[in-house]
Parts: sequence; C-alpha cells; structure tokens
Amino acid sequence: MSAKEKRVKTRKNKNKSRVLYFVYIACCFVFFYLPIVVTMVFSFNSSKSLTNLTGFSLRWYERLINDGSIMKAVYVSLTIAIFATFISTVLGLITAIGLSKNRRVIKNVILNINNINIMSPDIVIAIGLMILFSSIMMPKGYLTMLLAHVAFCTPYVITGIYPKVRQLDPSIADAAMDLGATPFEALIKVIIPMLKDGIYAGILLAFTMSFDDFVISYFVTGNGVENISIVVYNMTKRTNPTINALSTIVILVIVILIVTSRLVPSLLKKHAKKIVAIGLAIVMGLAIFAGVRSGGKKVLRVYNAGEYIDPELLTEFETAYNCKVVYETFDSNESMYTKLKSGAQYDILIPSDYMIERLIKEELIQPVNWDNIPNAAGLNPDIMNLAYDPGNEFSVPYFWGSVGILYDTTVVDEKDLDAGWELLRNEKYAGNIYMYDSERDSFMVALKACGYSMNTDNTEEIDQAYDWLITQRNSMDVVYAGDDVIDNMISGNKALAVVYSGDGAYIMCENEDMDFIEPAQGTNIWCDGMVMTTDCKDETLAETFMNYMLDPEVASRNSVFVGYTSPVKAVAEELEETEFEGISAYTPGVASGKNEVFRYQETKIKQLFADLWTKVKAY
Amino acid sequence: MKHYNKLVRPYLIWSILIILVPIIMIVLYSVTTGGNALVNISFTLKNFTKIGEPIYLEVIKKSLILGLISVSICLVVGYILAYFITRFDDSVQDLLILLVTIPMWINTLLRTYAWISLLSDNGLINKFLSLFGLNAQTFMYTDFAVIIGLVSDILPFMVIPIHTSIRKIDPSLIEAAQDLGADKFHTFTKVTLKMSIPGVINGVMMTFLLSISTFVIPKLLGGGQYMLVGNLIENQFISVGNWNFGSALSIILTIIILIGLRLMKRFDKEEKEEAE
Amino acid sequence: MNDALIELKNLSKNFEDQQVLKGIDLTIHRNEFLTLLGPSGCGKTTTLRIIAGFEEPSGGEVLFDGIDISKVPSHKREVNTVFQKYALFPFLNVYDNVAFGLKIKKMDETVIDHKVKSMLELIGLPDFAKRDVTSLSGGQQQRVAIARALVNEPKVLLLDEPLGALDAKLRKDMQIELKKIQREVGITFIFVTHDQEEALSMSDTVVVMNEGIIQQVGTPEDIYNEPENRFVASFIGESNIIEAVMKRDLLVSFDGQDFECVDKGFKNNEDVEVVIRPEDIDIVKPENAKLTGTVKSIVFRGVHHEIVVETEFRDYLIHTTDYFEPGLSVGLTFGPDDIHVMYRMDWESESRGGAGR
Repeated sequence: MSAKEKRVKTRKNKNKSRVLYFVYIACCFVFFYLPIVVTMVFSFNSSKSLTNLTGFSLRWYERLINDGSIMKAVYVSLTIAIFATFISTVLGLITAIGLSKNRRVIKNVILNINNINIMSPDIVIAIGLMILFSSIMMPKGYLTMLLAHVAFCTPYVITGIYPKVRQLDPSIADAAMDLGATPFEALIKVIIPMLKDGIYAGILLAFTMSFDDFVISYFVTGNGVENISIVVYNMTKRTNPTINALSTIVILVIVILIVTSRLVPSLLKKHAKKIVAIGLAIVMGLAIFAGVRSGGKKVLRVYNAGEYIDPELLTEFETAYNCKVVYETFDSNESMYTKLKSGAQYDILIPSDYMIERLIKEELIQPVNWDNIPNAAGLNPDIMNLAYDPGNEFSVPYFWGSVGILYDTTVVDEKDLDAGWELLRNEKYAGNIYMYDSERDSFMVALKACGYSMNTDNTEEIDQAYDWLITQRNSMDVVYAGDDVIDNMISGNKALAVVYSGDGAYIMCENEDMDFIEPAQGTNIWCDGMVMTTDCKDETLAETFMNYMLDPEVASRNSVFVGYTSPVKAVAEELEETEFEGISAYTPGVASGKNEVFRYQETKIKQLFADLWTKVKAY
Repeated sequence: MKHYNKLVRPYLIWSILIILVPIIMIVLYSVTTGGNALVNISFTLKNFTKIGEPIYLEVIKKSLILGLISVSICLVVGYILAYFITRFDDSVQDLLILLVTIPMWINTLLRTYAWISLLSDNGLINKFLSLFGLNAQTFMYTDFAVIIGLVSDILPFMVIPIHTSIRKIDPSLIEAAQDLGADKFHTFTKVTLKMSIPGVINGVMMTFLLSISTFVIPKLLGGGQYMLVGNLIENQFISVGNWNFGSALSIILTIIILIGLRLMKRFDKEEKEEAE
Repeated sequence: MNDALIELKNLSKNFEDQQVLKGIDLTIHRNEFLTLLGPSGCGKTTTLRIIAGFEEPSGGEVLFDGIDISKVPSHKREVNTVFQKYALFPFLNVYDNVAFGLKIKKMDETVIDHKVKSMLELIGLPDFAKRDVTSLSGGQQQRVAIARALVNEPKVLLLDEPLGALDAKLRKDMQIELKKIQREVGITFIFVTHDQEEALSMSDTVVVMNEGIIQQVGTPEDIYNEPENRFVASFIGESNIIEAVMKRDLLVSFDGQDFECVDKGFKNNEDVEVVIRPEDIDIVKPENAKLTGTVKSIVFRGVHHEIVVETEFRDYLIHTTDYFEPGLSVGLTFGPDDIHVMYRMDWESESRGGAGR
C-alpha cells in the first residue's frame, strides 16, 4: 500500500469513527435532554395531561404568574441561592486563603471536617441540621434554610479554591505588602484577582447546588418558607403543567445566562463588579421589601396538605380581613407532625382525625371557641362528635370522606366487586393494582378484609393482616404508590386502586371510565379538621379563618376545586346534584356499621405497624 | 506570611457548630432511646442491633446493588461519552461539555417528573412504541425506571471528571506509545485508560455517593415498595418518627459510604504505586 | 560608623523547633552592595526576609537608621524586594505592575505616570508598558520586577536570588546591569545568592553564612584570598585545604615538611588548617621542589588546565596554562604568601568536611 493510499484510508477511517462518535454522543444527549424537552413541550399543553398533547396554550404560564405560592417559592429559591452563594464564596475564599498559612494540625482539622460534609449523604446532613435547629429552638424558616445552604455550599467552595491558593507563588502576597499594600489591600488587590478562576467556579457550583437543593431545604425549613423544589415535591398530588412552565422559564434563563456569559466574557469581566453590586442591591431591596410588606398586618400561619385548598380563597381572605396568610404545605400527617415537633410554628393546622387525637394527647393544640364560628351550624352531624375528638372540642371539620376501591369499569367485571376488599387479591387483576403507600390505609384494608377492627392492638390480628398483605404482594405484583396514583388513574394506567373518596371523585371527573366502591366489610371514615396550635398567636383571627372556610359559598368553591366532600351538609348535597353528579365517590357512605374512624395509636403499636409495613414493602 | 492565618477562624467556629455538632447529635441519637426530645435519655445499642434484622439488611443490600449497577452503567456510558468528546476540537469539546452540564442546572425533581410522563404505562415511550405496533411495556415502578432516572441524574458527575482527566493527557504520550509500536487498542489501554484513572475514581466516588443515598428518585419512579436506605431514613424521621433508629441508619449509611470511598482511594493508590 | 543604615544585633530565628539563625550581628552601610552568600538552608534568605519584614525575628534587633523596626510590618518599611521568581502580578500589565506601589500610596496619576515611564526607561523597556507580563522573557520579567521595586524609591533594595532563573549568558549581562543600576540610583542593595562567582563580581561586601552563623564578612578580595576558615575557603572557589600545625609564627608544618608563611598570631604548635589556591601552585621539575608526585589527571577548562597531582599525603588541585602528560613525575612549589593559615574548626571539619566546591 502506498503512503498516499494509506493516508486516504486513515482519513476514511477517521470519518467513519467520527460518525460513530456523533451517533453515540447524540444518543447520550437524547437521554439527557429528553426529559427536559418533554417538560418544555408539555408546558404549552392546553390540557392538564402530562402524557397527552391536546393543543397549544399559554394558560399554564398565566396560572404560574397568578400562583402566589410558586412565585414566592421562586423568590425564596433565588434569594437564598444568591445570598448563600455570596456568603459561602466569601467564607470559603477567606478560609482557603487562610488555610495555606496555617499549621498542619488546623489545616487537617478543617479539611477533614470539610470532607465529612462532602462525603455525607444529603439526607444525613439534612437530618443533622434539623436536629441542631430544633434543639437550639431556632424557629425554622428563611434563616435556617440560608444557614443550611451556606453550610453545604461552603465546603465545595473551599475544595474548589484551596488548590488554586496552593498553586499561588507565596511571594505574591509578600510582594504586594513589600510595595506598601496592607495585608487587607494585598488580599483584595492581588490575591483575590489571582484566584479569579477558582472563585468563578465556586460561585457557579454554590449557586447551582443551592438553587437545586431539595433534601436539605425540605428538612430545615418552616413557617411558610418553601423553595421551588419543596413546592414541586408537595405538588405530587396533582401534578399540573404549571410546574413545567416554571421549569421551562428556568431552563431558558439558564441557557441565556450561559450563552451570554460565553459570548461576551469581556463585557462581563469589565463590569463584573458593577453587575454583582447591582444584583446584590436589587436582591437586598427585594428582601427588605418582602420583609416590610408583611410587617404591620396581622399574620395567620396555616399548615395544610399539598393541593388541599383553592388558593384564591386565601387571597380573598387576606383582603377581606386585612391580614397576611403564611401558607405552607406538607405531604403527609406524619411529616407535618415531625415539622411541628422540630420547632416550626403555625397558628392553624389541617391534619387528619387520628393525628388530631395525637395532637390533643400531646397538648399541641388548644380548644376552639365555637361561639366565634357561627357557620358551624351548617356542619354535617354525621361527622361531628367522632371518637378522635369527642364533642369537637378541638377540631373543626374541613373535608371528610372514606377509603374505597377505584376501578376501571372497562376492565373490572361487575360481579367481582362483591368480594369487597378481597377484590384486591383477585389474581385476575394481578399486576393491575395500586395500593396506597401508607401503613395505616393498607393495614386498614387488610384488617377489614380479615373482619377485624382497624384500631386493633391485638398482635394476632395484626399478624393475620400482615399475612394478608404479604400474600397480596406476592400474588398480585402490587405497586405501592403515593399521591401519584391520582395521575396514574386519570391516565388509566391500572385497573384497581385504593384511594380516598375525594381523590376518587377528582379522578372520576377526569376519567369517565372509573368508578368507586366502598367495600361492605367496612372502611375508614376519615375527617380532616382545622385545629389551633397552643402557640397560636391570634386565636380570634384563627377562628375567623375557620368560620370563613365553612361559609357555604367558600366551602362550595373549595370543594369543587379540591374534589373532596364538604363538611357543610347543604353544600355537599347541592354539589352532589350539580358539579359532582354521578360521581359516587363524592358521597361517602356513613351508614355501614362496620365503618370506623382511625384512633390514636400507642407508640409501640405504631412502631409495630411501621416495621411490618417496611417488611411488606421491602420483601 | 502569617498575615492571613486568622482568616480561617470564622470558618473553624462555623464548621464546628454547623457540621460537627449535628453529626455528634446524630451519633447521640443513635445510641440512645427516649424519643425525639432528648429529655430523658438512656444509652442503648438496640438501634444498631435492629439494623441487623434481615429486613433491614435486605434494604441495605438492595441499595448497594442498585448503587453498584447505576455506577457501573454510568462508568461504561460515561467513559465512552467522555472519550468520544475528547476526539473533537477544543471549541467543540467545550460546547459538548457545556451541554453535559446544563441538565445539572435543572431541578432533579422536575426531571424525574418528566421521566414519569415518559415511562408511565400510557406514557410517551409506550405511545411511541405503539406506533410500531409494539405492546405497551410496564416501566414505572420497576428497577428499570429507577435506574434510568438515577443514571440520567448522576451521569454528568461521571462524564465531567473523566473528560477532564483524558483531556489533560499530554498528546505526545499517545504519540510516544504509537511510536513505540503500540496499536490503537494498546495505546488506549496502556496510556489513555491508565492516565484517566484519577478521573474515573473521582467520578465513581461522586456517583456512588449520590446513588447510594438517593431517596426521591426511587420514591417517585420505584413506588412505595422501592425501599432503599435513603427512603428508610426518611421514613424513620418523617413518617414513623423514630429519630433514634433513623440516626442509627444514617450512621450506617455514612459508614458504608466511607468504606466505599476508602476502597476507591486504596485502589487509586495501588494504581499509582504500580505506575511508579 | 555614621553611615550605618541597617544594623542586625544578635538576630535569631526559629521555625518550629529548628533554629535557622543563631545570633547574627551585621552592619550594612549606605550605598553598599552587600551580598549574603551561602549554601541553601544557611539562613541568608531568612535574614533578608527579616529585613523586609516578612518574618519576625525570634530574638535580637533590626535597627534601621538607629531605630528598631523588627515589629514594623513590611508595608511600612522603606525597603523593597525583588523576588526569586519575580512575583509579578500576572493579571496586570507591565505598566500597572510597576505602578502598583505608587497607586497604593494614592499618588497623583500624572506623578505616577512620570515615575513609571522614567523607570521603564532606566531598565531599558520603555515600549513595554502595555505588554502582558506573562508574555515577557525571563530577563524582561526580571527588569520589570526591579523597576517595580525601585519606583518606590526605597532606601534599600533587597534581591532574593533574582538571577537564579536566568540562563548563564543573561545572568552575566544582568550582573553588570544590576551593578550599573545600583550606581545610578545610589542606594543600598542587599543581594542573596548561593553563587560565589556572582557574589564576588558584584559586591562591595560579601557576607558568607552557613548554618545560621556568619562565617566571614569582607570585601570579595579578602574573602577569596584570606578565608577565615575551611568552610569559607571551600565555598569560595576551589582550594587545597590541608591540616597543618603552626610551629611558631611564620612557620607552618604539613605533609611532613616545614614551610615559611606570612601568618602569625597563633600559639606555638597549634593545630591549624592551610589553604592554597590551585592557581598559586606551580608545577616544576621534581628535583626543584619540596613536594613531589605524579600527574593523575588533566582536564582542559578553557583558560587553564585543571590538574590533579597525586603526592604521598594527598591529591593537590592545580590550575595552570601548561600541559602535563598524566603519569609524569612533577614537583610542586608555592611561595610563603601563597599559604594562608586558618584556625581549625572542629565542628566544621567533622560535619561538613567535604562541603563546598
């Protein structure tokens, strides 16, 4: 082969391998960007669905702008990220500079502590900080979140900058001081400019980590302060494209920032100081403005489950009573309880029955003065005076319902329904079933199926229920889903699901094929109620809020928005005929003598259920 | 010279208060009982012996296996990607690496939700498959879904350090190897692969750390039955309210990670010694 | 002396548990080009850094114009430093590097401009003002570093092995250049080096240091011709150092013979050491000499030959322009003034017998 031929051949080979490279890289990028593209595309979807494109619309952007809680979360995420980046960069920078001038012992101590922080999983750091803040009684909120973010960003900044400091010629600082600069001037005029690249990298890293953080923020925040991740996490119940709209905007902003910073680096360099100064000034201004805005007015801190209220009602309440509502959401009663115990402060909580009983027992809530709640007259007597709170001394019902089986009428045979809960072990539907990922509800199903009370503390009965769940798991290939079951059932992913009646109603409104039954073996009748914490700052305002929520018009709008059954009898009856006509799940049965309300569990029993449930799920 | 040594003081105090103290408190919780208030505590090792129960060992094992699988996938896919990227000109490389980093800027939760709409039974992938008359597959709530979600989340952390280390290799080394008669394959295994080991180690450590402690992705894509150590810890703190056991689990998780990282470091050292 | 500018009094310095300066006493005069010479680790750089204010002495005093400045921070001292690797600020151009000190002092812009420009003129880089310092050659960076220090009009310029990074030719040029600059600005230069040739060719005064102690202070000629001990003799140039006994004044005995010399003041029969520079030994016919031996090796060094002659007692190193065949029997002679008698240093001869060059 001549040299020329060889060259031609290698070039050909090169081109061939180029194609291979391109194809592979393209595949990887498809993998990276597919979810992002999907997010962006569905933000323009005209319907709520995240799997079906129905047409183009900007309604989710409109809703995003009008959604106070998301905009507030954006503000929190952004300001926390900027402050945390600024503080951790400054702190990390001076530490990195100081480190190189220190004795080995101190250097090692700091670098090791740093490494511990970097090597620890997020969740451990989060828990450590949560425990720390609760034990020093620091009120959870913006400040704790900021401190936590600085805590986890700074070690990365230090590890980013420190090697650059070590590469510095040590005589550079000497040279500056030799020329008459004070140590501080030498730091500002010489050392920091020389570490520029490391500092930029640190800023970028800190900002990304802070802006994206979920786990740590989730554990350390409180008092209505939520960042984007937390809002998104609590939205699982009813995912909707609003959040896609938000992420589309975030993506665009990031891409624009990156592109401009690439294209005009000189511009950025020249005016970097000014840009940073102006940016900080704007942020501080905003922060102060936000602080001032809430100042002066009466404040009501409400802690409710995610997507469990029509947000417009809150705004209207604020204007009507000239006050400010600090509204925060939780994803389960238990996480609400943990938050409360770890020092978060609220005026009104909206937990479920058994949790209300627990809060009463632990004296975390105070009695309600019913005189201040005239609208209580309209409450449905069926759900009053239940065992968890005899005489409704502490709680005002908010929504109520039952637990039942939602089924796809096109798949499930009518005859099979008679089996009640045993339907969930009918192998015809193996692999086609969602159980609710909650030990309480799943054990309720099992205990009822076995014919026992769901409030039993008899370990034999509990063991039987456990066996029921284990056989179900083994034979039925069950999926234990959380609130994502709602979206899944709307999309008709599976034929059977254990759901709350309210969610059932909501799903049936969206998917006509679905129907809902309450098994004859009895079920859980539950009731979520509004309660006042013992450290409630303004009882009158809290009771005004409770009364407001029971106002027939308000209650009706709320019920329509959320899909749960209103405790106001007239409202529920009217909606049965109108908005929720033909939606059986909207009308929970209270007649069956076998229905029960959840009761407070002793710690030991609770622990037993928790452990057994872990076993059911993990095996 | 010594002018700046005092600069570390703020951070020294800060790190003791906000990094060390919480860790000590977790340790304290893990060896005591007496509830979450730390009022009347008594020391015990019960929380650790409980982890010895088969069910919890099973959870830890599952976490480890899932972590290893995800890290291995990331390693193979990420290494090839990083290597291919280095085959391009500098400016193209910069662009490609930028494209790898952009997804890291976008909220993990949002990306995970997007995977849900892609992978669900009536999701986009199944719709795409049905265009070709293929039967719908169940992806959601399987290992597959969790691994896909996890890998797409952590892959950049593997690609970037590997790419950096391959890019740093002096091209004359590769020329030298070829000059000494090594063919393409040997040049790659003997030079490129060897020289990129530090990047690989960094990437493996980072992805291992992220995958072993994850709890959001398995929760959303794997469903409730997808119980990993991270989920177990979250459960103990959030739903069950047993902070003592949760702390013990956290410590075990940290120890597992430290052992893993130590092993990687040792491997790194041996590699270096061998090279010398 | 009233022209003393800096006085070091019993200066000592410890790093952790290591003593690097063990009581330095030194007077530095105005307009003097003084060189601190010694092997690495001898304490010369530490001494310089104490004068500059980068290190605080562990003990002793630094008097500047009669005032103790050992606690004054470096930025308040009227000294400036040229660093080993120049320590130029890479993010500033040549002009801004040179102007740095003046800007810190918040001088008027026009004054700064004038000073910087004339300084760039002085160092021969008038057209380099806008250049990036990283784009300069080693020699050019060196000049910028000198300009940056001198523009502040210090009373003393400290130079910490500034020529170490340059190649041989450039080094020679810079030596001349530095001397020229020193004469022009007329201030004290304190120069640190381990290169004896550099020290001898540039300095007014050479201070030879070893292990934290000053071994000898003197003019280059003194240091070379009359080293006070074996260390100085071996560190400065090549030499034959011979253990000997001082019989009485003007008579020293070694290699089994007595030699006349010009030294006196030693005790009778005191153990001493004798240094004879290789160029002071003549090779003659064996019958004309007291010492005889055979030529062991000969190496051409350009100006001279370097010859090793093996005698009964030791090998002698001789520099001569003549050529002698290896194996040839020769005689060695030297005059009384070629023999320089030194006190014998026990600790030195034991621990560092072979040191030097």
